[in-house]
Amino acid sequence: MKKVITLNVNDQEYDLVIPVNRTLTQVLRENLKLTGTKQGCSVGDCGSCTVLLDGEPVNSCLILAVEAEGRRIQTIEGLAEGGKLHPIQQAFVDQGGIQCGFCSPGMILTAKALLDKNPSPMESQIREAISGNLCRCTGYQKIVEAIQTAAKTNR
Amino acid sequence: MLLPKFDYHAPVTMDEAGALLNHYGEKAKILAGGTDLLVNLKKKLLLPEQVISLNKIEGLKEISLVQGEGFYIGPLATAIYLAESKLIQEKGAVLCQGAGRLGSPLIRNRATVGGNLVTARPASDLAPPLLVLGASVILKGLKGERTLPLENFILGPGKTAIQPDEILSRIFIPSAKGPASGAYIKLGSRKALEISLVNVASSLTLGPDGSIQEARVALGAVGPTPLLSPGAAKVLKGVKPKGEKDPVFKKAGRAAAQDSRPISDHRGSAEYRREMVEVLTHRTLTAAYVQLMKNT
Repeated sequence: MKKVITLNVNDQEYDLVIPVNRTLTQVLRENLKLTGTKQGCSVGDCGSCTVLLDGEPVNSCLILAVEAEGRRIQTIEGLAEGGKLHPIQQAFVDQGGIQCGFCSPGMILTAKALLDKNPSPMESQIREAISGNLCRCTGYQKIVEAIQTAAKTNR
Repeated sequence: MLLPKFDYHAPVTMDEAGALLNHYGEKAKILAGGTDLLVNLKKKLLLPEQVISLNKIEGLKEISLVQGEGFYIGPLATAIYLAESKLIQEKGAVLCQGAGRLGSPLIRNRATVGGNLVTARPASDLAPPLLVLGASVILKGLKGERTLPLENFILGPGKTAIQPDEILSRIFIPSAKGPASGAYIKLGSRKALEISLVNVASSLTLGPDGSIQEARVALGAVGPTPLLSPGAAKVLKGVKPKGEKDPVFKKAGRAAAQDSRPISDHRGSAEYRREMVEVLTHRTLTAAYVQLMKNT
């Protein structure tokens, strides 16, 4: 069974004909070629597929693409503007918050959702916010520092 | 992991959803937040031919207050919504605590209370708080609605009293009959994305003279279903504690441990779990009592 849907990704509308059993991760990566969103565990445990749905971080591997119609989807590709990295991305680069990079898109989007809501979070709030995003390099300390730096830059 | 093939329906009213469900019967599965269903589909533990999504139906996410009686929670209320709800914080904070420990922040943005109950996992983070709040579920089927106390709804791991034509349409939580407070503690080896080794929710309601009018203690992951401890309730009822250190809370912990029916598995032994039931029951009761004393 296929369906015709329109997805709003990074403020662009895409008309698609997709099988109903495709996840949002699959459609972003395979149909739209937005491969910044990673597929890790595919069961909601690792957070590498994190995207923002109406501003909230979610596991896109557990969402049917057809169910994302009418929502505002943001992926890591939508953060940089005019070739300039978003301040959170820049902070991750500067603070060594990126090692292998596999968790980075998810981590950065989760951090964005946090900072949009709470511009100056405490360290414990940062750790809580990223608790659904696993870093296989275990570089959590640098990631937390990057988010703290981004929060300071934003202020 | 890929999803198996299925047909997808997105009805816009409950009646339409009910008609679809009745038409397809056991071949259909209801989709709410998807954090359990999609995992089960990917692992091929479930292979429905039809998936019926409730997500296009308006009005299933809200909480509605019925003055003097209690409040209703829509089945699609997400864990994050419950965790942050001011109304629930005021009327049943134990549920906020449970909802705040479910899965991870990413999961909490999608997982729903209806899904959590129908999935009926023994380690559910929402069932024990709802049990101590005296919740009942309202099931809407072809023949109309029926109401079941939550303890009669969850029957075993993954098994509930829901009939093939029924959809969990609302959850009702009655108003407390006096000053009340509760607490939830989840024990696991990590703070997020964890299946409880043991979890305990407790609630205390005081009578006019300051004695315990009603106590409820619910235990998770120590039996085939989350279960209420009749022993702990009996020990506490009618007692007027002389402070948070009153021995009655320890005694209730021991009674709860006796009511638990844990098994040994890779997460922990039955013996350890039983001991932790005692500890966590004591801690949740003490926390609830301290909160009550602060409030009154």
